[in-house]
Amino acid sequence: MSIILEVKDLVKHYKMGSETVKAVDHTNLSVERGKFTAIVGRSGSGKSTLLHLLGGLDRPDSGKVIIEDKDIYSLGNDMLAKFRRKKIGFIFQDFNLIPSLTVWENVVLPMGLDGRKINEKEVLDILNHIDLAQKKDAMPNTLSGGQKQRTAIARALASKPAIILADEPTGNLDSQTELEVMALLKNCVKEFGQTLVMITHDETVAQMADEIILIEDGKVVNHS
Amino acid sequence: MKMVTQIAFANMKYHKSRNILIGIAMILTTLLLFLVPSVGMGIINGQFAVVNELYPTWHALYRSVDQDTADRLAVHREIGRYGLRSDAGVVPVAGANISMMYLDHDGLFLYKMDLTEGTLPQKENEIAVSKGILDELGISGEIGSTVKIPYQVYRDGGLDFTQEKQFVITGFLPDTEASIEARQYVAIVSKEFLFQEVPKDQIAYRFLFQIDGNESSTTDQIEENIKLIASQFDIPENDTNINTEYLAANYVDPAFVPGIAGIMLVIVIAGMITIYSIYYITMNDSIKEYGKLKAIGTTKRQLRQIVLRESYCVALFAVPIGLLLGTVLVKAVMRLMAEYTSDGNIMMETMRVMIDNNEFAMYHGWIYLLTVAIVLVTICLSLLRPMRIAAKVSEIEAIRYQEGTKKSRKNRKSRQQFSVPFLARINLAGSKRKNIITICSMGITGTFLMVVATVLSCANPVESANSSILGQYRVMVESEAGNKEHPEREWSEIVKNNPLSDDLKDRILAIDGVDKVECFTAVTVDADELLWSEQIRGIPESYAKELEDGIIEGSVTYEELKSGDKAVIDKNLLYWHPGLSIGDKLMMTIQDGDNSYQKEIEIAAIGDYRHGFTVYEYFLMAKAGADSLITNNGSREFEIYADKQYDETVEQEISSVISGTSDLLNLSSWQNEYETWKSALSMTNAACYSFLAILGAISIMNLINTMVHSLHARRKEIGMMQAVGMTNRQLIQMLQLEGLCYTLGTLIISVGLGSILGYPVYLWAKGNGMFNISQYHYPVAAAVLVTVIMVLVQMILAFALGSSVKKESLIERIRFSE
Repeated sequence: MSIILEVKDLVKHYKMGSETVKAVDHTNLSVERGKFTAIVGRSGSGKSTLLHLLGGLDRPDSGKVIIEDKDIYSLGNDMLAKFRRKKIGFIFQDFNLIPSLTVWENVVLPMGLDGRKINEKEVLDILNHIDLAQKKDAMPNTLSGGQKQRTAIARALASKPAIILADEPTGNLDSQTELEVMALLKNCVKEFGQTLVMITHDETVAQMADEIILIEDGKVVNHS
Repeated sequence: MKMVTQIAFANMKYHKSRNILIGIAMILTTLLLFLVPSVGMGIINGQFAVVNELYPTWHALYRSVDQDTADRLAVHREIGRYGLRSDAGVVPVAGANISMMYLDHDGLFLYKMDLTEGTLPQKENEIAVSKGILDELGISGEIGSTVKIPYQVYRDGGLDFTQEKQFVITGFLPDTEASIEARQYVAIVSKEFLFQEVPKDQIAYRFLFQIDGNESSTTDQIEENIKLIASQFDIPENDTNINTEYLAANYVDPAFVPGIAGIMLVIVIAGMITIYSIYYITMNDSIKEYGKLKAIGTTKRQLRQIVLRESYCVALFAVPIGLLLGTVLVKAVMRLMAEYTSDGNIMMETMRVMIDNNEFAMYHGWIYLLTVAIVLVTICLSLLRPMRIAAKVSEIEAIRYQEGTKKSRKNRKSRQQFSVPFLARINLAGSKRKNIITICSMGITGTFLMVVATVLSCANPVESANSSILGQYRVMVESEAGNKEHPEREWSEIVKNNPLSDDLKDRILAIDGVDKVECFTAVTVDADELLWSEQIRGIPESYAKELEDGIIEGSVTYEELKSGDKAVIDKNLLYWHPGLSIGDKLMMTIQDGDNSYQKEIEIAAIGDYRHGFTVYEYFLMAKAGADSLITNNGSREFEIYADKQYDETVEQEISSVISGTSDLLNLSSWQNEYETWKSALSMTNAACYSFLAILGAISIMNLINTMVHSLHARRKEIGMMQAVGMTNRQLIQMLQLEGLCYTLGTLIISVGLGSILGYPVYLWAKGNGMFNISQYHYPVAAAVLVTVIMVLVQMILAFALGSSVKKESLIERIRFSE
């Protein structure tokens, strides 16, 4: 299997008062294409910062993040934004849907920003798959938590990115919905041949992954 | 500090960006509210100072007053300071004009005359002269010297034979450059001399006086009093001379206060709309806070006070800055105004010098206080609605309230394909009410700007000059009605020996460069239907077309107007005589020199003509018709057409031709009219556009506020869009498209409504003779300028906001919540 994501000696420190927090500290890891990888760690272990760095949302102090052989931090801001919408799909804990756009418009947003012609059939397929076709004209504030997160999943899948990064996607959901969403996510990743890197502090959720990376104090302490 | 004030002060600091914008709007509003009355008062005070420098200070004088009347007038309760003057005679010197008069001490003061040395004459052989008089007589002398002076006294209605007398010089009067140039001087003699030389029953005084009263009296009140006193003493109106320049400059013109108040009202409205709009748009940020305060027991009144005091806290900083700026600018603005208009205008030139030397008050404590009071009232009025909203907040709703939860509740049809303009449209549609408030508030100011610009663009100095003079030069006979001192200036006298003769016409035509001379005539007529004597104006044949084309009601040909039985009236005549209408046959008394006769003249049509065409003579006939009414020479003016628009040599030659003919002739030129209008209009334009620019700047605070707030409220949303791939370029493009919507909305209202309203305002200005406006001109420059400024401001703003977003990291923005 080929490596889709590679992290080399990644460092991100920041100041909190007089103390320096080593959020990511000389981290190295790699993710294989088509795999579901879970990054686990305690609160404050630096896993969210790592995910943001993997997705090009922040810039590291040093080190490299290579996605599909491209060092993403060699890109300028605008190029990085373009790279994100083409190659990376995000799923956030608090959904991060745009409140003024409908479900459909939220889903096609990255493609729209990329100026791509939207393949309506493909998007509808995804919505059907996650059981949201009936809600495609709904506004986010009329949806339940589970529906919101399914919309976010659809958004991440629709642009066919190289990798999907999920930041505690079930963190705001009740346990019943959590299971449904996770099943759906795993299913979709398999169905659409996607690579998924997910942060979680939930051991049960992590157990669903193909690989688990354990982070402590900004460092990878176990990769299984 | 009271808790309410403390919260308000903390709110002011917390909502920094909103309050900075409100603060700027307040500074600019304060500045304008301070500048307008300060400059207005400054000009009045300046004129007061200049007039006091240049004009005598008596309010009025009554002529031909005998000693007994003068004594009774002196004790009248309304009369303050008074003086006496009586013309005793003249000192005959060829080419010079030296009057010999008795003037008492107060008279000297009221004439703003003062002896440079010595005292006023007391004995019959004493005299006060000027150096110029001695030079004219070819003699020299000092105080106490005895000099022989020839004189002619007024006796039996005319000047008596020349006599000579030894006078002792008791005092010296100053000569001015102007008096030396004009060779006009005054010598003062004693009352004893007057009594000795002029028979007692022929002594007539001029009684000069000031009306007792304070400076707040209006000119109308003072003039009324002067006329009332005259009627009490049976002094005819012709013998009353009111010093209107002095009164106008020293006392409040009744039109001044409403004028200034009107302008200030416009500023208050602009300030109010802006402050209200800025506060209203950012109000959502505070709703939750007000709800919490209410939940813990804050009363409605206290909430209203919190809102009001927050803005008063801003005013605490903004108003002094506005006043300070105003204080710095008043002098500069006044100086600029005086400098702009000083070209050839002795009043403004003197004012400029006086401004430089700080010779009159430009700062008034009451204007500072008034400005502060008006600004505070403006703030209070603009916050009435926000205060009501804050007081009405429901505790539960406010605590639950979150930005964005209210909007987009309804589902709508999704847009299948996607673009950045669509995102901009969605956002604009999401806050329709706020956008409409912003657009309307800016649109109202823009409309006002366009309406004023329409009037200003119609005021074209070339057209104003064209409207006031027909040819390149005009020679006109200056007649004066009712001046008993100069009966020769009565039109009935002039026609008997009219200086505008065929000979003069030929001499002017002979001047190199003169192409044509057109002669207009005038006939004085009276009728029962008319309030006063009017003139029938004889229009030469070459203007037949203009006369016919100007008819707006009824119809008559130039040929028909040659009969002398029919006339066209200018519509301005209807202002004074609204009862006149087409078909009326007026039995007119035609004045022909010393003779008069009656003739019926029919009003055949009503016309609308430029001022230069009628010269305020509103009955128009063909020249042949007017000429047929009298046997004398009724020539009123020569309109002289030259090959060049202006040629100094031609003007000088015409001037020398007419000055050798009569002192009743007055020469004016197109160029002179043009220069006058140009100078007056450039001043008006500069003042109006500066005022409008500040008003525009106040209004633009709205746009800045709306866009800043819209961006602030969507920080997280924009962060999310950027996380899923929106580039900075796309963000700026989105903001620009949103800004463009405000710009377009504002421009549609400003330029659209402004253009529509501009036309009736132009018609009104034209009807009232404002700036001699004659033609409508669309204010293209103003429309383009407003458009360019709006587009530029919006582009710069979008760019600056887009760049400011970058300062905060994407992570921070995604995590941001209200």
